[in-house]
Amino acid sequence: MMESTLAIAVSGLSKNYGDLEALSEVSFSVRRGEIFAYLGPNGAGKTTTIRILSGLLKRDAGEVSICGEDVASDPVFVKARIGVVPDESNLYPELTCHRNLEYMGELYGLPRARRGFRAGELLSFFDLTERAKTPFGALSKGLKRRLTIAAALVHDPEVVFLDEPTSGLDVPSARALRQLIGTINHQGATVFLTTHNLQEAEALSQRVLILIKGRVAALGTPGEIRQRVQHLKLLSITFSAEIEAAPLLRACPAVLRASLQNGTWRLEVAEAQAALEQLVAFAGGEGVRIAEINTITASLEDAFMSFLKESGEKAEALP
Amino acid sequence: MSQLRRALAISFKDIESYYGKPPLITWGLMFPAVLILSLYVKDPATYLAIAPGIIAMTLLFGNTSMAAIVITFEKRAGTFQRLLLAPLAMRTIILGKAASASVYGLATALALWLGLKLILGMPLVSPLLFLAGLTLGAGCFSLLGLVAAVMVREVFEAMTLMNFFRFPILFISGVFMPLAQLPSWLKPVALVSPLTYVVELLHLGVTGRSEFATPIVPLLAIFLFLIASWLMAELLFRRRAYA
Repeated sequence: MMESTLAIAVSGLSKNYGDLEALSEVSFSVRRGEIFAYLGPNGAGKTTTIRILSGLLKRDAGEVSICGEDVASDPVFVKARIGVVPDESNLYPELTCHRNLEYMGELYGLPRARRGFRAGELLSFFDLTERAKTPFGALSKGLKRRLTIAAALVHDPEVVFLDEPTSGLDVPSARALRQLIGTINHQGATVFLTTHNLQEAEALSQRVLILIKGRVAALGTPGEIRQRVQHLKLLSITFSAEIEAAPLLRACPAVLRASLQNGTWRLEVAEAQAALEQLVAFAGGEGVRIAEINTITASLEDAFMSFLKESGEKAEALP
Repeated sequence: MSQLRRALAISFKDIESYYGKPPLITWGLMFPAVLILSLYVKDPATYLAIAPGIIAMTLLFGNTSMAAIVITFEKRAGTFQRLLLAPLAMRTIILGKAASASVYGLATALALWLGLKLILGMPLVSPLLFLAGLTLGAGCFSLLGLVAAVMVREVFEAMTLMNFFRFPILFISGVFMPLAQLPSWLKPVALVSPLTYVVELLHLGVTGRSEFATPIVPLLAIFLFLIASWLMAELLFRRRAYA
């Protein structure tokens, strides 16, 4: 078989659930060794895509090639080369961490001697050695997530699919997991990542695809995607006291959108000078000071919100 | 060969996780043992007319239920998806799951016979036919349990579905009443029940007596049922396992 430079090649992928169009003519490719982020609001079709690529769901139309082979025509070949971390941590609750990994090794055909070694190696890598004899069901959510990722790596897959890997985790666990994803990629695996966390996608991935209502809204490096929304006028502003979004938007018609991050408001404005004047007036009226105000360049999140707005999808769809 | 090894791994893991648990083993043993002992206490001279049928009935209910429970439980817990994501042929998954349920049925039936042998002196005139009946029956019933499980989502739905055929065939398969005593219009129906042939093979094994002139008939019939159950399981797993 010819060694392809592409880990994943998808062309014209479509899937319907009855009348609902889950995916429509989706095309993209992922290079070997790349971290590829697949972004979209709830119901955009991210999990449907992963289920099709990993052989769990049949497609209605299009072509899908993983490591040079179509998963529909040779599922065993493809499944031996991919590792999948579903959005739910779904290992065997009654088995210990070590036995879970060993069993995964058996299912992937690892020789007996290699299985035990690999299980120990992964437990150490994921800092779970002390939990080797703990049943999976007794682990915390964060540790379950780690072991589920470890289980997907048992057979050294060429491509790893991570469906919302940090969803529901506390900040330290999510940060530790992001570092692990980077390490997995440095060790040679191609990573296909779906996430709601746009900062996570921007920090980890080389390229990003934004999927909205089952269609590709944007595809490129985070920089290329940000570039597409450079026309946006953005301000960041910090007030001396807490304020609400609704009165701010009412008092400042030049402010089109406002989101709060770590005490600082990110504002998309129609016209900077008018917005500035309205914000100063608003602060005076509310009896608060403007501690800091800056013009900023568009982030991936701004781009994402802009694409959502263009598609008519409500921003509330985002968690 | 590699797929066969993986099927064995699935079986061993299921035995470790589910079938090796004491409550299951005691359930599989206590219920038929108490039933057969009651018959013995009532009439020691005639209990052998029904005991093989009760062992076959236990095999039917135990294997269909356990195979179905394991699959529906794993589907609900999401762990069944691990098998679908692994590089396993569908027949590897079916073989692994059916083999573990069959081992459970076979082991409990043999333990039951051994207990009855020690307590009541239960005979075994043809061990090979007894073992063949248990093995082929366990395989066939386990596969039917898998078929039911893959068609539904919940355990109770699987049980309801299976009870539509389990209870009716109980009364026409010679468990409580010899085939010869069935009304003539029911006899052809009895011949399309796999339980009929398992009951007859166990009767042949325990007492050497059967409604059939030759053991070839029940052996061949239950073997054909086993093949049909396998084909049905494979067809339905391909269509519905991913649902």
